[in-house]
Order: sequence, then structure tokens, then C-alpha cells
Amino acid sequence: MKQTATTKTSYHIPVGPIHPALKEPVYFEFEIDGERIIDVNVKLGHIHRGVEWASRKRNPIQVLYLAERICGICSYCHPAAFSLAVEAAADIQVPERAEYLRVIQGELERICSHILWAGVAAHEIGFDTVLYFTWQIREKALDLTEYLTGNRITKGIMTIGGIRRDITKDMLPRIKRDLQFFKDNFEKLRHIFLDDKTIKMRSQGAGILTKKDALKLCAVGPTTRASGVKKDVRVDTSYFAYGDLDIDYITPDVLTGNINGDVYDRIIQRLLEVKQSIDLVEQCIDEMPAGEIVSEPKIPKLMNQLKKVNGEGVGRHEAPRGEVIHYVKFNGQTENPYTWKVRAPTYNNILPWIPMLKGEQIADIPIVAASTDPCMSCTNRVAIVNNNSKYELTKEQLHKMSVEKTRRFMK
Amino acid sequence: MTKDKKLTPEAIVKSFKDKFKTKIKDAKIKKRPAGIKKNQTANIWMKIDKSVFKDAIKHLCDLQFPHLAVTSGNDLGKNIELIYHFTVNYGTRMEEINFNISVELPKSNPEIETICDLIPGALITEREKMEMLGVKIKGIPDDKRCFLPDDFPQGVYPWRRDETGVEKLYKNLHEVKK
Amino acid sequence: MRFSMLPSVFVQMFKKPWTNKFPAKYAPSNTTQFLADVGEGKAEIVPPIQTPKGFRGKIKYDKEKCTGCQLCIKYCPCEAIEFKPKEKKIKIFLARCCFCSQCNDVCPTNCLTMGDEFLLADADPYSKDLIVE
Repeated sequence: MKQTATTKTSYHIPVGPIHPALKEPVYFEFEIDGERIIDVNVKLGHIHRGVEWASRKRNPIQVLYLAERICGICSYCHPAAFSLAVEAAADIQVPERAEYLRVIQGELERICSHILWAGVAAHEIGFDTVLYFTWQIREKALDLTEYLTGNRITKGIMTIGGIRRDITKDMLPRIKRDLQFFKDNFEKLRHIFLDDKTIKMRSQGAGILTKKDALKLCAVGPTTRASGVKKDVRVDTSYFAYGDLDIDYITPDVLTGNINGDVYDRIIQRLLEVKQSIDLVEQCIDEMPAGEIVSEPKIPKLMNQLKKVNGEGVGRHEAPRGEVIHYVKFNGQTENPYTWKVRAPTYNNILPWIPMLKGEQIADIPIVAASTDPCMSCTNRVAIVNNNSKYELTKEQLHKMSVEKTRRFMK
Repeated sequence: MTKDKKLTPEAIVKSFKDKFKTKIKDAKIKKRPAGIKKNQTANIWMKIDKSVFKDAIKHLCDLQFPHLAVTSGNDLGKNIELIYHFTVNYGTRMEEINFNISVELPKSNPEIETICDLIPGALITEREKMEMLGVKIKGIPDDKRCFLPDDFPQGVYPWRRDETGVEKLYKNLHEVKK
Repeated sequence: MRFSMLPSVFVQMFKKPWTNKFPAKYAPSNTTQFLADVGEGKAEIVPPIQTPKGFRGKIKYDKEKCTGCQLCIKYCPCEAIEFKPKEKKIKIFLARCCFCSQCNDVCPTNCLTMGDEFLLADADPYSKDLIVE
């Protein structure tokens, strides 16, 4: 389609914070010229919850569970990064077996998250059959998570100086069986996403993020790797057991030979990472040493140790969406962290939306926005609860209002 | 923007010390082993003076274009400390360096220059520091609020620990109705 | 390959559903009535899937073993545990509990364990089912 003379007036279209196309609250203001987007403005902060402030009144064990509740899908990587930060500040050495178990949990979460994303992306382009297919695989992944940790979503597996649950020998057959299931279905999924014309037509050439922009705007995770920037905390640094494992950067040119940085590349990127994660879990199971899983099982003793710490630490972990970094500072007086700063991956992936969306069609907004796998709950964490009584409704009031509303509609 | 040669943590610290001499107050290199093979990656913690902040970031960009992860902030009583977490050497197996530059600003005049012209990706984190810690960022391209709502009172900064903090805004947070 | 999902769609029509049809094969129009019927034996409930070993459900509290050291109260992330100073025992409000089982790890006498009961939804946060003491 050729762009002919532009009209004199442009239109402003607000999308969000509650909008059927976006799964999470974020507010876009688009400046539209016909069907084409010429400018984007993003407003955040609709679900600020004051997590960092709340941590001042909690000890590190309690903060672990607070960190877990920053985000439902990355409920492992936030406690992991927090533990890494605390361990760096207090110089706690983690047992070797725990390092491997931590990798297994992290990679399992990546499989869950990427497959969930594949389903959401398929849904955004209107391919709902694939949504059900992918979520069927994810269901299996969640069952495995429940088997290993005790819960499907909020795993509660991380602890400072180790991990809370071991993988015993009798668990291995089930894990291997499920990994085989993922592998078989991965091939099917790869075939659907990479060979199907429907997906190619919708996603190729949409939402391009160039390598230069990705570097400049500090994008992280699969978003930046799909644009060709080799940045992956798992490969770049040695934390957990990633330093021992055979792991390499994945960029979409492994499969297609060239990098465009469009939505299609981000789909390829995530699918390849699922494959990599399955491979990493298998490596871990084979190479896992025997031994302790927690450096200090007595929590009161650990707290006494943390009380004396006067220092700061940074913990970085590659979450499914990108690098998550936590900064923790202890002041040596209480065991509660003096400062805790959380940086979730979407925080850095917001600015890249602007070059991605500029020049696109309105119909492509959902898939382009979804292609970075945004997680607003992760990004918006800080809010002040101003307990205004007018917001409080009792159950009876709420019920009465709902009944009234239904009656009004039935008239 | 091109990737230059690999940097070692010692070389980074040395080049900063050579350039800024006494303005570098403190520089530590921390390494932590992990896994069975005990591979290590480096963390650099560097304290610099406020007056050379912009030049130091420029110097870092000249060495190698860094990735800015985030800026975190501390309220230290009389001063506000900002810590810029950079990473350099990414894209090389286990040679990435986490480079933390911290700079202290007096609370009476918490002003710092923007780095958005060097690293455009710093915009959101700088806006966050403006609203959360009350730091004035000179020359920021967009000074609107980012996370806090527009009707949030002016002059209240959630991360501060003094009278401009948020302690007076909340009540009955832990109360349970019985 | 234009319609690669088409075979899957046809196969799906004749397959058994992947999910467990809980609590009934077809959603009852009135859940309260349905549950009352189940109680009287008029209707039959489709049982939920068996929870795996190590599932974290409703907390079980062995009152005899408890020494009243209050460590669980200190480390509970959501302040769900209350101390009863007269008896030197604890009271757990499950409406606040996040089922992390941290109290089980901290407890020096192992008087707290996680059960496998998970159907705990209730309109009243202080109902008898949701308080363990």
C-alpha cells in the first residue's frame, strides 16, 4: 500500500488502561493518521502496590514471599534475584546441589511462561486453536511444577542460601516423561508457528525494533535478542549453575539466517528458547551433584547473620521476559532490608514499544504490544494506599449493587 | 555504538582513576564463585563525586556502550544516593561486568544532570527517581509523572525516610476487621 | 501449509476433554442449590483431581506439641498467625494465609504440617473452616 498525501488533521485514540486488546492495565495514547500510527505515548502506574516500601517492615524471609507476589508468571525469578542479592550482600555460599535445583526451577518457569506467551500471541492475531493447543502443553508444565514444588503458580520454593525442596530419585522418571512430552509437542508447535502461512502473514514485518534502537533503549530479554543483541544473563555471567552448563546465545538467525527484529523473529526467539530450556533441564538432571540443598537450615540463625550485615548487593537473573535485577542494602541494625529496588524486565521493554508501534496499523497494536510479553504487574510496583473509606464496600453492599445493576439491565 | 575490545574490571577501574583521579572516592571489585566449576564474574562498585558524574558516564560510553539496567536510590539521612547499575561486555560468555556507579547528592539541593542524551533508555528510570526520591534531573526530555497518579500530593516522595516520606499518608494498613 | 491446525480441530471433536469436569459435567445453574443437593445425596459431585504428594493445602495444627515459641508468627509473610497469650498457643487465620509452609519449616517442634484440603472458599473470612487453632 502506498502512502499518499497525509490528511491535515490527526486523531488521538486512547487505548487502555482497561481494554479488550490488552491483557493488563497500561494506557496508550496514539496519534493516528488514517490507519497509521504516527506517535505513541505510554502511561504506566495503574497497578502500583508499594512493594518496595512494604519491604521495610518485613524481614528477608517475608520479603521472599512478597517478591513472589510481584508477578504470577515470574513467581520464581523475583525471589531468585532477591536471594542472589541478599547472598551477595551477606556473602553466603550456596550448596552446589541447590544451584542445580535452582536452574531446573528457573528453566521450568521459562517453559511455562514462553508457552503461555505463544498462546497469547496466537490469540492476539485471532488464531485461537493454537491458544488452546499451547495451553494444553502449559497445563502439563504446570502439573510438573506442582509435582516439584507443591503449588502450580506461587511456587514458594526459593529460600535464602538454597532451595526448599529437593528432587529425589523417584521423581526423575516423571520429570523425564514430561520433558519427552514437551519435546514431542514442541515439534508440533514449531511446525504451526514457523510453517503456517497465517502467522507469517500477520507477524512478518510488523513491529520492527532495530538493533540500534534495542541497544539505545536498553531493551532486555527475548525482545532484545530477537533484534540481534546478544544479551542473556545466563550466558553472560556465572550465577546458579549456569556457569557449568553448556549454553549459548540464541538469536533468530540460528533458524532463519537473518535478523529483522519483527514480531515473527520474537516468536522464533521464544520458541527456540523453549527448546534450550528443555535441554538445560536435562543437562542439570544428568550433572546434578549430591549434597545439601540449604546452606543454613535454621532460619533464626540465618536472620542473626543477616542482622549484622552492613552492605549492599545486586542480584541478576534471566527471567522469561528478560533480565530482572534486584538491589538490596542492609544497614547492620535490623534484619529488614534498608532499601530494596526491583527492576522487572518490562520496565526496560516499555520504551522500545515506541519505535515498534510507530508507522504500524491500528490492527497490529495488540500483537506488537504483546510481542514483548509485557507484564505490567511487574513494572508497576509502588503505590501508596490512601485508605479512603469511600472505596471500601462490604460484601452486602457489593452484592446489593450487583443485583441492582443486573435488574437495571433486565428492564 | 560499535562493540570495542573486551574490558577487564581492573582496566575499567584504572581508566576511571586515571581520568578522574581524586574524584573517584572508592572502587571495589567483587567476585563471587558459583556452581561446581566456581566460575566467577565481576561486580564493580564505584563511588564518584557529583561534579564529574556526567563526564564519567560519557567516559564509560566511550569505553564501550553500556546497558543501563536501572537506577536505584537510597535515602542516607543527609544525602540521597543514586546507584546506576550498568552492564558492560555483554555478549561474551561469562565475561560480563556489572558496573555500579553511585553518586551522592545533598538533600538540600538534589540536582543531577540527565543521561538521557547519552543513553535514551534511561528515561523511565530517571522519571521514577524524580517522583520517588524528589531528585531534580536537569535537562530531562520528559518530566511528567510516570508511576504515581496525577492527583498524588506534590512534595511527597515515597522512598524518602524523613518528613517528606509517605508515613503520614497511610493508616490502619495492618488492621484486621474482627 | 495453510491450515495446519485443521486436522487437530477435527480430532478434538471426538476426543475426551482434557480438563476434569469439576464439580459437575455441566455447570449447575445454581451452585448453592447444587451443593445442597449433593449434601442430601440427590446429586453426584465429580471429584477433583488427586493432589500430588507434598501439596500445600490447609494447615494442620498439633496443639499438644506446640510450645508457644512464636517463631511462626515472626516469619509468617502475611501475618496470618495470632498468639493466644493465656494458653500459649496460636490461632491461624486461613483467610490471610498464603500457603507457603514457611511456618512448618521454622517450627522447632514440628507441630504444623500442610494438609491436602484445598476447597476453602468462603464468603466469611472468619468462618469456622478458615480458622485453625
